[in-house]
Amino acid sequence: MSTTTDLTAPVAADAYQETRGAALRRRVRETWSASRRPLIAVVLTLVAGFLLVVVVSDNPVLAYQQLLLANFASPANFGNLLMRTAPLLLIAIGIVFSFRAGIFNVGAEGQLYVGAISAAAVALSLPTMPAVPLILISMAAGAAAGAALAWIPGQLKVRLNVDEVVTTLMLNFLAMLLTSYLVSKPLRDPTAYGATSKPLPTQSFLSQIPGLPTANIGFLIALLMVPVAWLVLFRTPWGAELRASGSNLRFAEAIGVRAKSQIIRAMLVSGGLAGLAGAIYVLGTGHRFEQNFSPGFGLIALTVALLARLHPVAVLLTSLFYAAMLNGAAYMQITTDVPRSLVSLLTGLLVVLMTVEFRRRHRARVQKEAGA
Amino acid sequence: MNQFLYAALLSTTPVLLAALAAMFTQQANILNVAVEGMMLTAAFVAIAVGQATGSVAAALLAALLAGLLMALVFGVVTLILHADPLVAGLGINLLAAGVTVFLLERVYHNPGGLRPDSFPDLWRVEAGWLKAIPLIGPALNGQSIIVFLAILLVPVSSIILYRTPLGYALRAAGEDEAAARAAGINVPRVRLVAVLFSGVLGGLAGAQLSMATLHFFLPDMTSGRGFLGLAAMLFGGATPGGAVAASALFGVAGAAGDRLQSGAIPNQLVLALPYLAAIVALSLSKAGVLRRVRIRKKVKATA
Repeated sequence: MSTTTDLTAPVAADAYQETRGAALRRRVRETWSASRRPLIAVVLTLVAGFLLVVVVSDNPVLAYQQLLLANFASPANFGNLLMRTAPLLLIAIGIVFSFRAGIFNVGAEGQLYVGAISAAAVALSLPTMPAVPLILISMAAGAAAGAALAWIPGQLKVRLNVDEVVTTLMLNFLAMLLTSYLVSKPLRDPTAYGATSKPLPTQSFLSQIPGLPTANIGFLIALLMVPVAWLVLFRTPWGAELRASGSNLRFAEAIGVRAKSQIIRAMLVSGGLAGLAGAIYVLGTGHRFEQNFSPGFGLIALTVALLARLHPVAVLLTSLFYAAMLNGAAYMQITTDVPRSLVSLLTGLLVVLMTVEFRRRHRARVQKEAGA
Repeated sequence: MNQFLYAALLSTTPVLLAALAAMFTQQANILNVAVEGMMLTAAFVAIAVGQATGSVAAALLAALLAGLLMALVFGVVTLILHADPLVAGLGINLLAAGVTVFLLERVYHNPGGLRPDSFPDLWRVEAGWLKAIPLIGPALNGQSIIVFLAILLVPVSSIILYRTPLGYALRAAGEDEAAARAAGINVPRVRLVAVLFSGVLGGLAGAQLSMATLHFFLPDMTSGRGFLGLAAMLFGGATPGGAVAASALFGVAGAAGDRLQSGAIPNQLVLALPYLAAIVALSLSKAGVLRRVRIRKKVKATA
């Protein structure tokens, strides 16, 4: 690996020097051609949603205004938007890792739940520990639990070639049932109505971001993962090997990449980030574990990652967009007669539209990819 | 015992229908994750139409059409517009969940579910001669017509797959697309037919789920039965016989779970049984445990 980079590096630098303008234009063109399709899908979905709102509501413009713009109306609303973004961003970055490694982790919802409950259980069992170590240990527990849950389908895929889509889907249900049991029996708050855990010790709460009353440093942790993920994926040998095993398994193995261990690692990262998202939710927003705390973050994050064409920087934009929709739906439901489930409907529509090939010339490429 | 078999058959049927649905598309080489969404839509439409018309026939027909419609969307998007089947399938599921909850909120003003005060009973088959069948006879007696249809559909789909030109074309399209095209098979059309088949079967599964005993609809009421069907199909090697065996296993696990619910073991852990069974079964079959057992049997038989 290192010898090849040494040889080509100066050549590439010279070429870059000569044609900086052309390179810039190429970058712009590439970015545009990569983002055109997701943009078309988003626009089509929003138009279809607007038509639907026109049919069901007396005041469609107000409804859409609430859906998209109310997020920025006050610091509190904006803080809520950021806190909705955090889990989506973390899970989606994890999904980027797994999909780039060629393993389709659709079990993020389950990994989120086990992460959340593990963080809650750890924080509850160490009520006297000071803030910083308690928060760090709880987050580590959440990430470890998510990673452990993702490790199972990874091993089954690598060792026995069991389809990971089915196993991760099944594990989602198992994780939901397990956490539902834990929160209704051992961790249950006997004084509360419904299945919630006891409230966490106050020193485990994540501190808020100054100026934004409803946002906490959990968002900053998620935000930090964007450049980290980009660096790891595109600027380290490990990232290169991971992408190689995802794009062509046999080629990767031929040049000495141990693709199987890349798959396991990608699953660990993916599950770990989903588990961390759960921990951040519990420590920052929920302050206790509640069954059904997630409005389907796992599947929505899958949408977010795919809409970003599996690029960690684009994931930031798509997760902000999606969080705005999720958050705005609540304001829309309060001020107008449009139910918030409009957004779930639009999510489905968006996913379906997103992978559609609108032009014929893409077909050859797709078939080539399918054959590879 | 009879009661248990009755319950096992009841929980097997939707999984079996979903497995058969996934089998047709799998034979055409499409992993059909969308069964879940087809079932959910059908379950909702069955209750909504049954409530509005008071007619079982209308409700059942509407459920089948709903399954077919979702399958049509799935088929058009994946086969004509070349979307990735996995992503599009998950999209169909999200769409089904979104549409049903949206309608519950907007039309019925109750996001918690749709519970009609009165709902026409689905036709049941009750006959003396059924009870006379040993072992499964009493379990069959009084089941809905869809249960019998599902059982009947196992040999029927076997005949369709292995004894008709359509079945040949379908399996050829799944086995080797280029060769099938060279042999003059219209691959997208054959695949679309497989997807539409799966829509009808998924519609039946959804109708059974909401109409047979419950007579109400809850958001997400399929709770992974479509995925279980998918797992059953993969476990059964995408054959009708395998699908029956695997769905019966998951069905028994489900019924055993319901049985144990009142006991000392916590509810949720018991409800997890079929999903756990699916993962273990898939792993064991991939690990070659079954093959080894089968070979040993063969060796014994010849010895």
